[in-house]
Amino acid sequence: VRGPRFRRLKMGAGHRLDAKASGVFVLGIGHGNKLLTDLYHCHLTKVYTVGGLFGKATDDFSDTGKLVEKTTFDHITREKLERILAVIQGTNHKALLVHSNIDMKSQEAYELAVKGMIRPMEKSPPIITAIRCLQFTLPEFQLDIHCLHETQQYLRKIVHEIGLELKSSAVCTQVRRIRDGVFTLDDALLRTQWDLESIRNAIGNCKLKVQAEIEKTLG
Amino acid sequence: EEAAPVFQYAGRAAKRKHRVFVWGFCFAGALGLPSFVRPDAGWKKPRRVQTTPYRLETEEKISSAACGYGFTLLSSKTADITKVWGMGLNKDSQLGFQRSRRDRTKGYEYVLEPSPIPLPLEKPQQTRVLQVSCGRAHSLILTDSEGVFTMGNNSYGQCGREVVEDEMYSESHLIHQLKEFDSRVVQVVCGQDHSLFRTKRGTVYACGWGADGQTGLGHYHITSVPTKLHGDIAGVNIIQVSSYGDCCLAVSDEGDVFGWGNSEYLQLASVTETTQVNVPRHLPFKIGKIKEAACGGTGNVVLTEEGNVFVWGYGILGKGPNLIETAVPEMIPPSLFGWSDFNPDVRVAHVRCGLSHFAAITNRGELFVWGKNLRGCLGTGRMEDQYFPWRVTVPGEVVDVACGVDHMVGMVKSFI
Repeated sequence: VRGPRFRRLKMGAGHRLDAKASGVFVLGIGHGNKLLTDLYHCHLTKVYTVGGLFGKATDDFSDTGKLVEKTTFDHITREKLERILAVIQGTNHKALLVHSNIDMKSQEAYELAVKGMIRPMEKSPPIITAIRCLQFTLPEFQLDIHCLHETQQYLRKIVHEIGLELKSSAVCTQVRRIRDGVFTLDDALLRTQWDLESIRNAIGNCKLKVQAEIEKTLG
Repeated sequence: EEAAPVFQYAGRAAKRKHRVFVWGFCFAGALGLPSFVRPDAGWKKPRRVQTTPYRLETEEKISSAACGYGFTLLSSKTADITKVWGMGLNKDSQLGFQRSRRDRTKGYEYVLEPSPIPLPLEKPQQTRVLQVSCGRAHSLILTDSEGVFTMGNNSYGQCGREVVEDEMYSESHLIHQLKEFDSRVVQVVCGQDHSLFRTKRGTVYACGWGADGQTGLGHYHITSVPTKLHGDIAGVNIIQVSSYGDCCLAVSDEGDVFGWGNSEYLQLASVTETTQVNVPRHLPFKIGKIKEAACGGTGNVVLTEEGNVFVWGYGILGKGPNLIETAVPEMIPPSLFGWSDFNPDVRVAHVRCGLSHFAAITNRGELFVWGKNLRGCLGTGRMEDQYFPWRVTVPGEVVDVACGVDHMVGMVKSFI
């Protein structure tokens, strides 16, 4: 028998990634699609590096949109930005506890809260579990955001809202997904590596990790 | 795009604004928001409970606030004539005499808005009010050079003056001034029906009701003149005193904690089995050097130098529904206050206690509350009790908070 090795492949995509964003994008091939649904039900956090620019506000919150307003930003310091980020983290932590559907009056809720393991295990609005400032050189800044159930446009909106809280305005210049559950940048394949050998190696490397994670969370 | 005008919302030297937020039970007027009790527009409905922090507009920057049983006092360190404002219940003149506008001979029983309290100062434009404190039906105002002013109910001598039989406390003009202490008074604390004064030298004076031994003077009678306490705190330099119900705690400069008063809820059970202790006793806890202590109605909380929070007593202590009472302090895990591997330098800076709830403020300016949610006093937005520390969303950095029976007042700095 002669012919190509693989004729048809069933492929599924993991969590969505914008056209304007970049980073890790998980795909499933053949039987891997079932693992994709299991990974979705694990509700693991994703990590993004979000770059922002102070001084202007646009209609779609990114730097390629239509200009709405320009503001000054020389009063902003790293300390003020970190204060705002601490508050964002605090209110999102509350949302984490509220949407996890555990009765707050039970001993179980107290124990999970102490360990920090409370997490919503169903559909919920986007929640940011951790956010911190990596770089700050006016007018640019970079944030490291760990989140759940989000979209990239939501992250751009957060950048815009941070600008508003600081009595100025901000647009998002870069959204890059660094980690998606168990998959990090090291596991990801570059454009030049999209060939059979590398794909096979990558699947082999991640197999154990994925299995361990699914067993741990879904039991 | 380059030609667009640039707007400036905040300059380089913009100062952070000081604000006051209130939440809890509204109908006593203790929140200072009259439109919640008597709506001034047709569409407004009377609001019984304010479950989330609500901004209270004040003319001056408020430096100290205190919540009593249904009333509140706010004070500012200004040199103006009006230094203290009061709102809430005034049936025992705990807010001084508030002349009614309809009938000039009568006073208000409920004050719905922050109203100035006229103090009989000798030098009104030089003296500054440092701190205020409120009890069940009396209040104390501490000034920097003119001693302590007391007003309100004196049926147990808690105002520091002789008890007059059948005295009418409502609509009374009397504000008593206390000056005779061994050195300048630096902190005043009101328990339910007694008063504690801490002087610069580290001594503690008490007056008022003593049936539970809360005056710490060695007997169970009332005292109408502030008298010095001895017992285990004789000769010790006390740096903080706290009380709200019938139990009292004092912290020394070496990190030891002393307690006296009611012990029916195991507050002092680590040293004695009796339910009333009328002499200050040292509490031998091995939890580290103690920085701050706060006393509630049935439970106590202390903060150590490392930033750990320990609770003991009876009630909802903050470690889940299973811990109802303990005589030995139990630590609340720091991860409940926002500490994590991501934020390793978050620690608790202050602890405060109301009658049946607790509050903790972290060094990042976040407010955590837990305890019995009486008429929405926790400020979480819900009416259920909270069994472990829960963040209160306040639009600003919380500097200090005052806890009462069914309401709370927070002093907040804006972010920018």
